[in-house]
Amino acid sequence: MIRYALKRLWLGAIIISVAMMMMFAMVYLIPGDPASVALGPRATPEMMEALRVRMGLDQPVWRQFLHFYGSVLRGDLGTEVLSNRPVLDVVIEQLPFTLALVVGGITWSVALGIPLGCIAAVRRGGFVDQVIGVLSVAMIAVPSFVVAIYSLLVFAVALQWLPAIGAGEPGDLTSRLQHLILPSLAVGLGWIGYISRIVRASMLETLEASHIRTARAFGLTENRIVYTYALRIAVLPTITLLGVGIGHMLSSSVFAEIVFARPGIGKLVYEAISVRNYPIVSGAVLVTTVFFVLVNVAADILVGVLDPRVRSSFN
Amino acid sequence: MSILADTRVSRRSLLAGAGAFGLASMVNPKVSWSSDGPILKVRSYADIQTLDPCFRLAAPEGDITSVIFAGLVVTTPGDSWGWRPMAAETIKQLDPLTVAFQLRDNIGFTDGYGQMTAEDVKFSIERIADPANKSPYSGDWATLKEVEVKDKLSGLIHLKQAFAPLWTSTLPTPSGTILSKRAITELGGKMGVKPVAQSGPYILKEWLPKQRTVLVRNPDWKYEQGAFAEIHIHPIEDEKTAELGYEAGDLDYTWTAVSSISRLKQTPPPKTTVVEKPSLAFVWLGMNQDVAPFNNPNMRRAVQYAVDRKAVVDAAYFGAAATATGIIAPGLPGHREKNLFDFDPDRARDMIAKEGLAGTTITLDILNKTERLTAAQVVQSNLQDVGLNVEIKQNDSGTFWTLGAKEGDYWKKLQMIISRFSMQPDPSWATAWFTRDQIGVWNWERFSSEEFDKLNAEGMVELDPAKRDVIYKKLQDLMEENGNYVFLTHEVTGIMNRDTLVAGLKPNGEPVFTDFKPA
Repeated sequence: MIRYALKRLWLGAIIISVAMMMMFAMVYLIPGDPASVALGPRATPEMMEALRVRMGLDQPVWRQFLHFYGSVLRGDLGTEVLSNRPVLDVVIEQLPFTLALVVGGITWSVALGIPLGCIAAVRRGGFVDQVIGVLSVAMIAVPSFVVAIYSLLVFAVALQWLPAIGAGEPGDLTSRLQHLILPSLAVGLGWIGYISRIVRASMLETLEASHIRTARAFGLTENRIVYTYALRIAVLPTITLLGVGIGHMLSSSVFAEIVFARPGIGKLVYEAISVRNYPIVSGAVLVTTVFFVLVNVAADILVGVLDPRVRSSFN
Repeated sequence: MSILADTRVSRRSLLAGAGAFGLASMVNPKVSWSSDGPILKVRSYADIQTLDPCFRLAAPEGDITSVIFAGLVVTTPGDSWGWRPMAAETIKQLDPLTVAFQLRDNIGFTDGYGQMTAEDVKFSIERIADPANKSPYSGDWATLKEVEVKDKLSGLIHLKQAFAPLWTSTLPTPSGTILSKRAITELGGKMGVKPVAQSGPYILKEWLPKQRTVLVRNPDWKYEQGAFAEIHIHPIEDEKTAELGYEAGDLDYTWTAVSSISRLKQTPPPKTTVVEKPSLAFVWLGMNQDVAPFNNPNMRRAVQYAVDRKAVVDAAYFGAAATATGIIAPGLPGHREKNLFDFDPDRARDMIAKEGLAGTTITLDILNKTERLTAAQVVQSNLQDVGLNVEIKQNDSGTFWTLGAKEGDYWKKLQMIISRFSMQPDPSWATAWFTRDQIGVWNWERFSSEEFDKLNAEGMVELDPAKRDVIYKKLQDLMEENGNYVFLTHEVTGIMNRDTLVAGLKPNGEPVFTDFKPA
């Protein structure tokens, strides 16, 4: 098992390195001068040049790349030149908001997707199955920013049940949760549909398995068979799917963060790219890539723990 | 058994009750009071990145520094530009080169930095003016000679030359803010996002990046206190999001999208005042005279005749904004009553035909904002009508603001742009970017006029408003006569706030937080 985990981690390290190389190349290929954007029209050419030097932009790209990698290995993501704050601090203070959004999205998708999938499988071919099928596809098809805008208009503006903007009062869990409901729904709604479909398919396969037939032969109730024996097996593909889903939710969080004026990594990166704030872009992408890879490695390991067939196939 | 008598609690009813309680607790409570009084919740279009007035990056930082650090004077709200003393007990221009000030006797700095003195005034002004400190705002004190300290609370500001913007866009702005000499020295010469030695009517209590900035009344401020115990400033970049936040009750005051002004004026949200304020900003269509086909003056003139400015502005700003007659907004010295060249498509068509340039394709670079794209599309249609093809190229802000820079190569291809500059309430702020030394910096049309440069320099030192009016009108005439510019609009600022609130606004709609009061 340890060998399996180490292999996954090694693969994760390679993914992070490749992702960072791609990000670095993209950042430096796009046109635009961060100094003139940051300092505005009042800045003299000398001031702009001084800022370029402070940002290391006067160096060749390969040297900037090596410097960045060297600094990362020393645990230093650099300093944000405009506010003079450590990049790591800037990124870390935004990360919990995006994680909360993703966790909220997962909660919506798991809490609704798994039961819907189970019900659809149990009622296979019936009216309920068809309704759930239509709903699931509809949820997958609607883009998250549309959900964000409409949920905001309905629940915040028209009904005024929930707040429209911000992340809530610091230290007030209720306020934080109030501010999380709509954005996390926007991020997670599509995944309710995905998980519902995956669980249904997996459950149908599992319900045909020999051990389920044996359980029925022993006279166990259908509920116990479905929710205790079958679900345990059927839910395994969902864990892997969620690992990928977290990456998708991280990227779609930018819409929710902009529409709901929430802090978070997505908005941080979006704004940083707009003003060519390269240290923030690099730092934020690195942190989220590491997070995404670790989550996927954890998901793979969890599946390996729960399903010995996966372990043995890897070995 | 009556319903009231049935007090049995089943598992199901307990769960239902807990669920209902949970839902009820989730319903947003619109609390707008602190323990000390009402809270004002406003939107700003950007978060703070520094609170050092010397190195401020955007207007929202200036809005905050202007209330947490006392300046000698401060801009007053209202429909015309003016100022009132803040840290100064008295302040007076003795002659064109000398300003005398006397500080109030009881303005203190927080964090134990003592009383504000004339030494602090000298330090703060000379710090921003000193080229060695590389402040982008050093130009606000371009003609400063020195600040002379007379005694603990009084001094003289000496100028090398008269400086007309001193009372409009220098002293009442964050460039006139007084910081504690001891505090800034201890910080190593520069302040970041954590303010030290605050001295204004409000002090910064909390900054949560990308979430909000909280200002609270300064208990040590001895003069008129702000009406609100706390001011919560929410950074919301997107105007539409801010409008929804306002409509949901999360904000008391916000700027609106220009496209929303007409709708909001017709059907405002409940208990809301919607106002329009004329902006000082200017938007124009520019032509690069160093690149074909605009190296031909007749081609530039033809475009000036071809563009229906009213149609452009009406389409882009939904009828809310007026067309501009130049780069200097109404209410400022130098504002012109009319343009020299206006819409005359027949004449444009003739000129293009005579030059043999019909069918020419031109690239129009714009920033990727909705109103710029709409404006560009109308320009495209106007020019198509006179025989020119226009390809619109949208750029993100990071790319757009470098297009005409001499450090790059694109200026050699840059043909036509729609651009926008914001400014302070002095005409010198409008013309400063079109001099010859700004070619390849911010003068992307590469407009080059010795007469313009000379007059522009004269305008900076001329104190007589009537003479300045003549100078700045002439400067815009020169720009338009050369053909590089089609002046489009000064835009408009839409604002909405609760009826329960009287918003303290500068003539261009920028907030003066100390002057927000309950109705």
